[in-house]
Amino acid sequence: MTTNNKDLNIQTLFEEYGDYLFSYAILKVKDSHFAEDLVQETLLAAFTAKNSFSSQSSIRTWLTGILKHKISDHFRRQGREVKIEDLVDQDEADGLDAFFKSNGRWIQKPDAFPSPEAALQQQEFWKIFQQCLAGLRPKQAEVFLAKEIYGLSNADICKDFTLSSTNVWVLMHRARLSLGNCFKINWKS
Amino acid sequence: MLNCKQASQLASRAMDEKLPFWERAALKLHLFLCRSCTNFTQQLNFLREVSRRSRTSSNFQLSEKAKQRIASALKSKQDGD
Repeated sequence: MTTNNKDLNIQTLFEEYGDYLFSYAILKVKDSHFAEDLVQETLLAAFTAKNSFSSQSSIRTWLTGILKHKISDHFRRQGREVKIEDLVDQDEADGLDAFFKSNGRWIQKPDAFPSPEAALQQQEFWKIFQQCLAGLRPKQAEVFLAKEIYGLSNADICKDFTLSSTNVWVLMHRARLSLGNCFKINWKS
Repeated sequence: MLNCKQASQLASRAMDEKLPFWERAALKLHLFLCRSCTNFTQQLNFLREVSRRSRTSSNFQLSEKAKQRIASALKSKQDGD
């Protein structure tokens, strides 16, 4: 065991990553009690498996990896087979073909959205927002959560997810396009 | 002249970094002429705003009760080890 692993304090990890893990879990299991339990299980497992943390990876990636296994177990217990592969990244091609014609024009022209204030007054808005986040590709959802919701800087995102800054903005751009489309389809303002 | 695919990429990047002068100028010109990309830019700002605010909503934050429960479970595990 390196000093690094011994110094991993599970309470500190909880304070730092608890909300992030919770919001990731709830996107997948859609139930706050299950999501809370998953966070607890994840951190307990992290404590037991402290030695498996290698300083090569970031703590966020390591914890999210444990959480993904817990989510997959949770679905298996429910008789729903969700493979761990569904929770990690698939091969992503350009990804923009779904949004633009070959001449670079929009396939679905974006609409103007109402103001955020108006949206937040609608009760179903958060549900739709979560549903749309849940529909993103795994890595897009993780990066979007960390960056836009938990306010991580681009530099921290690059470090935590071991991505180049180009990767980050490509992922973010796709996430934003997908969310825009999802709102258009699901949200009757 | 930028097409919409290029303009939307620049608009998205501009959310996180300051674009070089010529890219900024080209984007501005495109947005002046294109309603769809102007709408997309508005969507970007909308997403940023609702994301910031969602942080304090119960959907993205553990409740105080859950926090205490988990913290005490972790503590007894740590003490027992």
